[in-house]
Amino acid sequence: MTEVDVKADPGLGSRVLRAVLTRREILLVILIVVVLVWMTLLGYGGYLTGPYNPDYLAASLVDAVPLAMLALAELLVIVSGRGGIDLSIGAIVSLTGMVFGFASGQWGWPLLPAILLAVVVGGALGAVNGFLVARLGFPALITTLATYYAFKSLAVVINAQQPISTPSIQSLYSLTASVEIPVIGHDIPNVPLGVFTFLLPAMVVVWLLLQRTTFGRRLFAIGTNDVAATWSGVPVAATRMRAYVLAGVIAGFVAVYTTGQFASARPDAGTAGNGLALPAITIAVLGGVAITGGIGRVSGVLLAAILVTWLNAGILLLFEGNEGTQFQLLALGAVLVFCALLNAYTTRKYGGTR
Amino acid sequence: MTAIAVRGKRERVIAPLVTGQEVVLLVVVAALWLVLWWATPAFLSADSLRPLLIEVAPVALIGVGMTLVIVSAGIDVSVGSGMMVCGVITARLLVEAQVPLVVALLVAIAVGALLGAVNGVLIAWGRVHAIIITFGTLNLFQFVGRQIFGSQTVNGIPSTLDLFGRGDAGRTFGLPHSFLLMAVIAAAVWWYLRQTPGGRHFYAIGGDPVAAELAGVRVRRRVLLAYVVTGALVGLAAVFTIAKGTATLDQSIGSGKELAVIAAVVIGGTSIMGGRGSVLGTVLGALLVQTVASGVTQLGWPSDLSDLFVGVFVIIAVGADLLRERARRAKR
Repeated sequence: MTEVDVKADPGLGSRVLRAVLTRREILLVILIVVVLVWMTLLGYGGYLTGPYNPDYLAASLVDAVPLAMLALAELLVIVSGRGGIDLSIGAIVSLTGMVFGFASGQWGWPLLPAILLAVVVGGALGAVNGFLVARLGFPALITTLATYYAFKSLAVVINAQQPISTPSIQSLYSLTASVEIPVIGHDIPNVPLGVFTFLLPAMVVVWLLLQRTTFGRRLFAIGTNDVAATWSGVPVAATRMRAYVLAGVIAGFVAVYTTGQFASARPDAGTAGNGLALPAITIAVLGGVAITGGIGRVSGVLLAAILVTWLNAGILLLFEGNEGTQFQLLALGAVLVFCALLNAYTTRKYGGTR
Repeated sequence: MTAIAVRGKRERVIAPLVTGQEVVLLVVVAALWLVLWWATPAFLSADSLRPLLIEVAPVALIGVGMTLVIVSAGIDVSVGSGMMVCGVITARLLVEAQVPLVVALLVAIAVGALLGAVNGVLIAWGRVHAIIITFGTLNLFQFVGRQIFGSQTVNGIPSTLDLFGRGDAGRTFGLPHSFLLMAVIAAAVWWYLRQTPGGRHFYAIGGDPVAAELAGVRVRRRVLLAYVVTGALVGLAAVFTIAKGTATLDQSIGSGKELAVIAAVVIGGTSIMGGRGSVLGTVLGALLVQTVASGVTQLGWPSDLSDLFVGVFVIIAVGADLLRERARRAKR
């Protein structure tokens, strides 16, 4: 009985707690503020090796672009449900990056057709995943693990392990240059160009797709319950397939971006170390995407990407050199486990995040 | 009621020692060996096969534990990082503290089991999907391992480890000890999974955890056990891996091993959805994966190409699993 009473008239405290736990954006904004305040205090205390100021934070967004975009790709795939996940996304970045490198750097294609080719190849590789998972009913986890192997291998073999770094590729480095924002630009730090040319368009398109189109409504429907969706006349396989193709398309754009960032098309661009798929999935989960499907928002993913980027940027100042990258591993792992446990708890207590 | 019971019992008695998938795998591996023998006659020599078996041992060993995990509908992608932690602890104990091999071995297994317990507790009691938790612990273990490494390599690993790999000291009947030990452990787990009630609980959990719980299976304990066993085997596999190499250990130990192990398990016929699978299949799967890797290098192709073949084999294995599932449903 007492439980019912509590629910009928929740106090301010429990309402705030509920809002923080169920509205992932609120929690993320709080965490971002905590990181900013904490790092700034450490800076005043003289523990940081460099200034943790707006200029540094703005410049560090250059790393947020590929992470946030790939997290959007994972958002689409994970929301589609039935264990949807794309472990091959980093390998798609590697392989499409090499194709883009060939087109732009060696065959002398102009920039736009080369980008178009990268996007088409990315979409085609995504379609391979989509065909196996959506049409043939393969489990996504093991399918994308297999295609991770295959794409990674092709990316390395295609140019005998060599990166492509001709002058025309090196000139793409301007993509990562910082620019002044018009009108208000002189009052705030310069922001990397890629944020406007890659990240923001991708966010807007994915948001519009999810919130304003039939495809978006169908995607959430099949992710929540694909049996119910089937009986409601939703083309389940076609919708799920499209999610994987779109993820590949986004990876194609990321490949162009990372090629510019490294000033070369590297065969291990998306698979070096732990690869890009792992942080992308981490950011998606951190942003409130339910691994069981059907739940996820663009705003959560963006805030999660910013949180991880600024946390990593701070850690690099806190620990020098190799130590810094090690503590980034710790932070990423701890944040992922914490948020996964939180997601599970929230789902049990309040029926999931919104 | 009795009819069902009798039928169940008879099925158990006449359950074949090997399943269709295992026979197919055996044929595929044999065919590959014949082709490689034909292409490069040196392939079927002891000097060529022995390194292959030494390479198979750690992957198959972790795969035995991973079979338990995947049969109970879980997954563990943190085994590569766990291997790094166990490996560096063992190496530093042997080099700096100069402990006897037995002590180092026990510590490696204990540390591995502890890491597995971390996964198991978080997964069973946190009620979070295993892939997310083990993705997280993959990073955490890697942090721990690199901290212990101290951004350096461990040099001068003593030759006592030769017992598990290199040279004549590491062989009995011409077979590497690591491979023999793996075979014994695999046989024990095979017997446990197929012939004991406790072992069959893993299949029950993978088939339907709620039904298993209602039928009296202590699901959480079994899940925990699966990850702890996997962790302990990771510790042993780390020792095998150090033993097969040179006297130097660097931070690349274990990197990418999780993928090779999962590929071996799935190629071995274990269903990634849980409820079906066999240890023997996993060992054959590991043999197939390493044969491909070894074959690609012996044919003089770029070694990175072997990943492409592994990917294709995984797709074929999953496809075969789906077809069998469809046939099984049609029969009912």
